[in-house]
Amino acid sequence: MGKVPPSLRSAISTTLMKKQSSLVPVESPVPPPKPHHFPKKPTRKTPSQLSRKTHEDIPIALFKTPNLSDAKKLFNSVISTTKAPVDLRFHNSLLQSYASISTLQDSISLLRHMIKSNPSFSPDRSTYHILLTQSCKAPDATLASVHQTLNLMLTNGLSPDKFTADIAVRSLSLAGRMEHAIELVKELSSKDTKPDTYTYNFLVKHLCKSRSLSMVYDFIDEMRNNFDLKPDLVTYTVLIDNVCNTKNLREALRLVGVLNEEGFKPDCFVYNTIMKGYCMLSRGNEAIGVYNKMKEEGVEPDIVTYNTLIFGLSKSGRVREARKFLGIMEEKGHLPDAVTYTSLMNGMCREGDALGALALLGGMEAKGCSPNSCTYSTLLHGLCKSRLLEKALELYAVMKSGDMKLETAAYATFVRALCREGRIAEAYEVFDYVVESKSLTDVAAYTTLESTLKWVKKAKEQGHAI
Amino acid sequence: MLPQRMKKAITDNPKKLANLIDLVNLPSTLRDFVGQSQISRLGCFLHVWSYIKTNNLQDTNNKNVVNCDNKLKSILLGKPRVELAELPALIKLHFPKEPK
Repeated sequence: MGKVPPSLRSAISTTLMKKQSSLVPVESPVPPPKPHHFPKKPTRKTPSQLSRKTHEDIPIALFKTPNLSDAKKLFNSVISTTKAPVDLRFHNSLLQSYASISTLQDSISLLRHMIKSNPSFSPDRSTYHILLTQSCKAPDATLASVHQTLNLMLTNGLSPDKFTADIAVRSLSLAGRMEHAIELVKELSSKDTKPDTYTYNFLVKHLCKSRSLSMVYDFIDEMRNNFDLKPDLVTYTVLIDNVCNTKNLREALRLVGVLNEEGFKPDCFVYNTIMKGYCMLSRGNEAIGVYNKMKEEGVEPDIVTYNTLIFGLSKSGRVREARKFLGIMEEKGHLPDAVTYTSLMNGMCREGDALGALALLGGMEAKGCSPNSCTYSTLLHGLCKSRLLEKALELYAVMKSGDMKLETAAYATFVRALCREGRIAEAYEVFDYVVESKSLTDVAAYTTLESTLKWVKKAKEQGHAI
Repeated sequence: MLPQRMKKAITDNPKKLANLIDLVNLPSTLRDFVGQSQISRLGCFLHVWSYIKTNNLQDTNNKNVVNCDNKLKSILLGKPRVELAELPALIKLHFPKEPK
């Protein structure tokens, strides 16, 4: 059997990560950062949400050119004609809008112009944070422009606070300037503006993605020794997740040990992460072991736990047990979702029970859970592998009527099954659909089609069974 | 069965990928057909395939076979009937490997 469809894997890991980040506000609610409008709020959001927010917050694409004198003129005319209250928020929106297209120096000049032409306007931190974000986003070999903005803040009597640190670190990290983010955090920490746990964990998470583990550990040690910033449970979860993703389970277990030594009690997210690590390696016994440990420790498993467990057991060919957990999960009041069923179907297809998986599709729909394209791709893959081409064609028709995307493996298997039966025209039609529906790039779709045709021809010539 | 790693190797191999998507200067026969002086192998395939579809050249009794019209015949070795299965191979003939 082929490997697990990649989207299924990501489905599991993203739900896990989402849960993790949603854990954050629960643990220690932060006081609302500022009483007034804040163009780029340092709230606890995932990076994608953060960047989307910025785009939404640009009120109107007011400034058409990055030209400074045009911008000043436009500002003057807007100020004299607007009916909206000309308050801090108003100025910030304008500045934000201009900053999205201009250079930092021009933005600073516009801010100066704003202050000069409207003496009642006194910029506060949020205003400077707009400039800070801009200076962090721009590619730059040094931190010079960031320092310039921070100094500008200081000369106006505003010292950087933890939100400043957070905004700078996030913007720098998202712009791929990890070295600068680290440098700035150290610098700010030495000036008594320590990053809070969210900033810290964000940085650790991004470091894990782009740097070696030993570098991340060095960073953590340095922060602990020099600035008394200790990793918390979330940090350890991030680290464990990272080492599990690199299949380094020994290190994950060591981290769990450290976590216990430091007096943290592992929570559901830590357990889920470790379990995911085992499931990735198809180690069903250990995954069940984690589940039992959770029960011993009195940690209530959530839907992610069950989904991970069912995924892992299905993957290691223990479908019967996976089904048992589906029952347990329902008993405990967790409604199985598309991920649960798709994992289970994947397991059944691996065992060659594609018809059983197809029956499960009916069962899941009867329970009000709607299948997604991943579910259908899994089934299509399974049906083709079991040489149930007619059923596969029926399923494909359903997928087509629902404009669902095909996954790489499902597409390749389906095309192979069609070509094997000499139904080349239909294979071409599937190729068209895959390209049209943007399931795959035309390159990927074509290479599969071409190599499959080549393979069929060769097999026929040599008289191999296909 | 087509081995997994082979499937993956094609899109991972930059040379094979380049062979598929790089623009190539076309010989005159092909130039007349596609109406461009440059096209990639993939682009050419897509062009021919959409030409077959828009002109309904697939045999009504056996969709796997294409009844070539004169224009199509000129680029597919002059064959009157072509199997859909050979189409990629026939098109590849116009895109020889570049000598080093």
